[in-house]
Amino acid sequence: MPSPDGAGLYADQVVVVTGASRGVGRLLADHFLAQGARVIGISRGPTELATSAYEHQELDIADDRAVRQAFARIARSHGRVDILVNNAGALTSIHAMLMPASSADEMVRTNILGGLYVAREAAKIMRRHSFGRIIWIGSMASTLEPIGDSVYAATKAASMTLAGVLAKEFAGFGITVNTLAVSAVDTEMLRQIPQDKVRTIVASLPLPRLATADDICNVVDFFSSPRSSYITAQTVFLGGIHG
Amino acid sequence: MLTSDDIESIILRAIGALNSERAPDEQIAARADTPLFGVDAELDSLEFVSVITDVETSLNVDHGLEISLADDRAMSRAISPYETVATLRDYVLELLA
Repeated sequence: MPSPDGAGLYADQVVVVTGASRGVGRLLADHFLAQGARVIGISRGPTELATSAYEHQELDIADDRAVRQAFARIARSHGRVDILVNNAGALTSIHAMLMPASSADEMVRTNILGGLYVAREAAKIMRRHSFGRIIWIGSMASTLEPIGDSVYAATKAASMTLAGVLAKEFAGFGITVNTLAVSAVDTEMLRQIPQDKVRTIVASLPLPRLATADDICNVVDFFSSPRSSYITAQTVFLGGIHG
Repeated sequence: MLTSDDIESIILRAIGALNSERAPDEQIAARADTPLFGVDAELDSLEFVSVITDVETSLNVDHGLEISLADDRAMSRAISPYETVATLRDYVLELLA
């Protein structure tokens, strides 16, 4: 429920969420809106989110030119970006011997390059106010290396490395870069994976249950806080996994 | 349409922003031949990034010009367009042409 008076944890802040039309991205867009933020959601398709504090931009984050144009519009219309949630991701879960090249290519372009393009353009705007919080949504797959997730897990590991380097490069501009590696959460993406495999993975976690919305928002709030200015290049795994 | 002088002013303003955070005895000369990149440049790597992004942002926000100063064309040149204020100015003019 959007905050009616604009008050809240993120009042007056501009937040960009990629992959905002569904899953974890939608969940976080709703969370930021409820806490008073102005949210710009990005996804390849349309959204059902309709509230005055929400703007939607339809684009593919792997399209460098489209990303540049989107952030140019954001810079002109808002003049700032306080928080970026780099959430958009592509997943094809299939045995490596059957992996289509097009699926592998899409995962590399979206999960690694798309994340870079978005973070790069957001950081250019953030540095003007010497403040920014970039939060990458990672995955337990990078550490658990599940069967069927060869390319997906590799791209998620790569994005954690990417976030670590960007944390160093952006530190001088007051921008932090951290990763929240989510465990299994009930989304459309998870439902693409065979459910017996999901149950086996969840059962193997130190905290053997699905992640909740609050588990995710809790860590995102921590990374987003102005008090977290000394927290960068970190990855928090949900569910007791460790890297 | 921006003139060569307009663009040079945008670049010099970006250098001015750097100087506002530098000590009086460490000011960077705001001239057309001021080196921005390479062995003769006084800018450190963060300051160089700041100048390029400040210029790009000003062109976008103040003038509605969506150009990228760090695309493949810039990176593939034998002589870097970032070498001096003047070479950057000329490169922006070329992109706008």
